[in-house]
Amino acid sequence: MDADALVQAIASSADRQAFARLFDHFAPRVKGLLMRGGTPPDLAEELAQETLMTVWRKAALFDPTKAGASTWIATIARNLRIDHARREKRSRLSQVFEILEEEGPEQPDQVISGSERDARVRQALTGLSKEQYRVVELAFLEGFSHQDVANRLSIPLGTVKSRLRLAMAHLRRHLEDLR
Amino acid sequence: MNARHLASDETLAGFAAGRLDEGMSLVVAAHVEMNPASADALREIDAIGGAVLARGEAVPMLSSAEDALARLGGGRELGRSPAPRREAGVPRVLQPYELGRWHMIGRGVSLRRVHVPGAEARVFMLRAAPGTRLPEHRHTGNEWTTILAGAYEHEYGRFARGDFDEANEDHEHHPHVDPVEGCTCIVALTGEVRFKGWLGRMLQPLVRL
Repeated sequence: MDADALVQAIASSADRQAFARLFDHFAPRVKGLLMRGGTPPDLAEELAQETLMTVWRKAALFDPTKAGASTWIATIARNLRIDHARREKRSRLSQVFEILEEEGPEQPDQVISGSERDARVRQALTGLSKEQYRVVELAFLEGFSHQDVANRLSIPLGTVKSRLRLAMAHLRRHLEDLR
Repeated sequence: MNARHLASDETLAGFAAGRLDEGMSLVVAAHVEMNPASADALREIDAIGGAVLARGEAVPMLSSAEDALARLGGGRELGRSPAPRREAGVPRVLQPYELGRWHMIGRGVSLRRVHVPGAEARVFMLRAAPGTRLPEHRHTGNEWTTILAGAYEHEYGRFARGDFDEANEDHEHHPHVDPVEGCTCIVALTGEVRFKGWLGRMLQPLVRL
């Protein structure tokens, strides 16, 4: 499945079939991802549906030079989760993320394709051990501090740091020629 | 040329996951906006999120694509309207927030509050004239700073435009503002900060520490 092309088909021609394929592939994964991070099932269902609704509405804003479709969708889900969690605080954090994404931070010299970066990262993750993967997931996806990761997995802080160091070295080797 | 001061991966990941206090997040966001290396690191962290999503476990949905389309009514955004630009010298990421007015808080030093509802950290922009010695101070919480213009220097190095200064508990420092360029920065503070000296006594009530 070429997810980038499906998003672009929604953007160019409101392609409902492309949307159905994206929904069937990504909505259950967004739901799974949110539940793994501790979101209750009914809320995860709602946020997953809203994530895909946002994909439809904002398809024209998708830019594969910045991020591939799965990364773009993951950040949409993240923003919705943040909005929901901080609703009562009138948080504007998701607007801050949108400003960073939309206007683009000051670009580095070389323009690299977001889709290409995504593919490399995906490939690199398959080379991690199960233990490394779990630490990467908690530290980078859930954003826990290294100390919190250590507490959650009941392993020493030093072990967390060394696993992350190895995992990041591995990841950055895969991205080296893109940087 | 000094090494650049970047936010750590740990800080960027906490920011990206929405796990940091909103005030602290704002200072990280200003750094990412101004610093290509950290912007790149953040894109990598986002890409890890995308990769984990792509290979993650699927949990069956109760609703379908048709349900989603029905709720949407088919509406789409066809393009984006460019965000209104704020005045020069103010990071774009501050757009959603209300800013106070600059006011002098002491010789050569002005402060401008950034109102971040719901944040635990107090956030403000600080502008110091060339050569100012900011008061020596000690933290019980965190003091995170992104340099917006100019530079300062203290025990941990020289911090220039786009740099991120992450001073956590028990740091004690004594910044010296660049003698030519002066310095403007955005700061988020949590916990207690105790200043020493004349400027500290001026600053203390204004930042409600």
